[in-house]
Amino acid sequence: MLSRFAFLFKLVLVIFCLCFPAESIAVQSTPSGTADLCLGCHSNKDFTTKLKNGEDLSLFVNKDLLENSVHNMLDCSGCHSGFSPEKHPSRILENRRAYAVSGAAICKSCHTTFRTDLHGRMVKAAEKSGQYCVDCHGAHTVQPVSSQELREPRYCLGCHLNKLSMTFKNGEKQSVQLDHMILKTSVHNKLYCTDCHFGFSPEKHPIRQFKSSRDYVIASSESCRRCHFDKYTKTLESIHYSMLSQGNLKAPVCVDCHGAHSIGRAGQERTVSAKRCKKCHGEIYKIYSSSVHGSALFVDHNQDVPVCADCHRAHNIEDPRTFDYREKIPGMCGGCHANKELMDKYGLTTAVLQSYLQDFHGVTLKLYKKQKDTGNKITLKPIAVCVDCHGVHDITPTTGPKSSIVKANLVKRCRKCHPDATENFPDSWISHYKPSLKKAPIVYTINLIYKIFIPFMMVGLILQILLHIWRYVVNR
Amino acid sequence: MEGNKIIIGGKIKRFSLYRVFEHQFVMITFAILVITGLSQKFHEYGLSQWIIIKLGGVDTVRLIHRSTGLIFALITIFHIIVASVGVIFHKWQASMVINKKDFTDAIDNLKYYFGITDHPARCDRYDYKQKFEYWGVVIGGLLMMATGFVLWFPTFFVKFLPGEFIPAAKAAHTNEALLAFLVIITWHLYNAIFSPEVFPLDTSIFTGKISVKRMKHEHPLEYERITGESLEHEHPGEESSTKQKPDPSD
Repeated sequence: MLSRFAFLFKLVLVIFCLCFPAESIAVQSTPSGTADLCLGCHSNKDFTTKLKNGEDLSLFVNKDLLENSVHNMLDCSGCHSGFSPEKHPSRILENRRAYAVSGAAICKSCHTTFRTDLHGRMVKAAEKSGQYCVDCHGAHTVQPVSSQELREPRYCLGCHLNKLSMTFKNGEKQSVQLDHMILKTSVHNKLYCTDCHFGFSPEKHPIRQFKSSRDYVIASSESCRRCHFDKYTKTLESIHYSMLSQGNLKAPVCVDCHGAHSIGRAGQERTVSAKRCKKCHGEIYKIYSSSVHGSALFVDHNQDVPVCADCHRAHNIEDPRTFDYREKIPGMCGGCHANKELMDKYGLTTAVLQSYLQDFHGVTLKLYKKQKDTGNKITLKPIAVCVDCHGVHDITPTTGPKSSIVKANLVKRCRKCHPDATENFPDSWISHYKPSLKKAPIVYTINLIYKIFIPFMMVGLILQILLHIWRYVVNR
Repeated sequence: MEGNKIIIGGKIKRFSLYRVFEHQFVMITFAILVITGLSQKFHEYGLSQWIIIKLGGVDTVRLIHRSTGLIFALITIFHIIVASVGVIFHKWQASMVINKKDFTDAIDNLKYYFGITDHPARCDRYDYKQKFEYWGVVIGGLLMMATGFVLWFPTFFVKFLPGEFIPAAKAAHTNEALLAFLVIITWHLYNAIFSPEVFPLDTSIFTGKISVKRMKHEHPLEYERITGESLEHEHPGEESSTKQKPDPSD
């Protein structure tokens, strides 16, 4: 028995040695044997040949890359079979592509088995897709599978630059073709495909079953939180997320606003930010565009004006119909309108915020907030804030031809809480003016009188008290 | 002797029960109005916010303030009606009316304080300080009532007043409130509590009675009028002279 196995072993060994000459098996760090001879000519950078269609094909081989390739132990003729220092048949090929295809066929002589998934599918579909081994792996530069060079996006784009699409269960189709330029200009151009498309790799390309393209988009957005966790947690508080969790699949997720592969840089042109919301909130966008802020943005390209996200915020978008949101409005407007440096540019006063906050409505609003913060469950009346007089998305200038709209809104707004308000009732709000002899002279005069009278009275009375005590002490 | 009917236990009856209750009411309503009103005026301060929250929020505070204001207004109006009816039909002595003597009394008292004269002004039922406070409360109260109602029902009042009257009413209401509060906590509380002559408390408005000693000292003219005694020979400012008098009445 044993002698029989020994014979078989010897036979295998002999065949093995016959098949692979000793030099080609030995792992060396320099191209072996004939390589130096070949490189004698092929290291010339200007070495080219003319193909049938007139294209120039470079015959230059970079020695450094060759030395670093995973195939550095192979003889040149290992792949370029039929070539040797003695034999150098001249072939005339159609074009460069045909040459690449013929080169790719060589790989299969050694790499006979493929993993069943991606490679198997690709090799099978090579003729149809036009994607051959060398397109991903390179020719002389072949890298170990683990190397960076072999990673995406070059690798993935090998297929995904082509017209590919995926089909969902409901029959919808979605293109999975990418534009190289879009990727390059995206803010994520330093990332690898698998950084977002986790679960995928050059080896693994799982087939997933999504009900619809919308399901796919929603699932894809989950990738973002792996890096942008802070933003993700903010979105959990947003009205969009709560709509989504209630089953409204139309509610936007990350990629709906930011895009997927085309993802841009935050803080770029503010119009871009405004236009994101337009996708769903078209009507409001239109109204905003003609407002004092919107027209400044779109007509004058003014970057100081607020866009949607400045008031509604980007990720933790609140329901604007709540008291909590209403309570924040003076602060939102005040963010710019109480900023002296900014308002001076437009000749606007910053007193608007304080004059509101110190007035009946401002005080009530603040005290309601305090009350609510203590957890008291009391129905709070809707108190007038900036937007009630000035407009929400349709904010108009307070001077000029459109200013009458503000005034007209005033009576309407007053009547919401004061149903019997007459036309002159808005006059009881002396605008954002500080009382003066010109504006609100009665208020100014009353304040002035008391400003003098109160200290005068108090000093007089306290002096009398002190005199009385003094007299009492002296008499004792 | 007339004196024996008026002086009971060393004390003279000074206020009727109506006046005592009137003061109690005004005192309580004033305190509530000050607490609920000034906490709105000084809304920035932590104490104000604490009061407002503890009272159940600003809406409740406003409700308390307005209801109390209404009670205060009723007391004041009733007081004015009673006083008017009393003076006109029952020939009450209009003892609160300010006259020339009040001004000379004030000057005389200042002279006394500075040591120019050796005795204070000799006053009747109400001295000039009391008249000042009384009219302060009546006139200030009327002003607070008027402006308060304007602020309570702004839409009603702008039907026949210019819009600016609303913020003007607020300015007057809030400033007058501060003035009233300051006068009460300094002047009134000094005279009713901290003044060495009454410390620890002038009880006459609560009991309706005043001691003969204080009566002779503070309201000598009234004392003379109701008892028929003459205090002319005494030096009202000196303790020794007033000490002797209560004895016969006991």
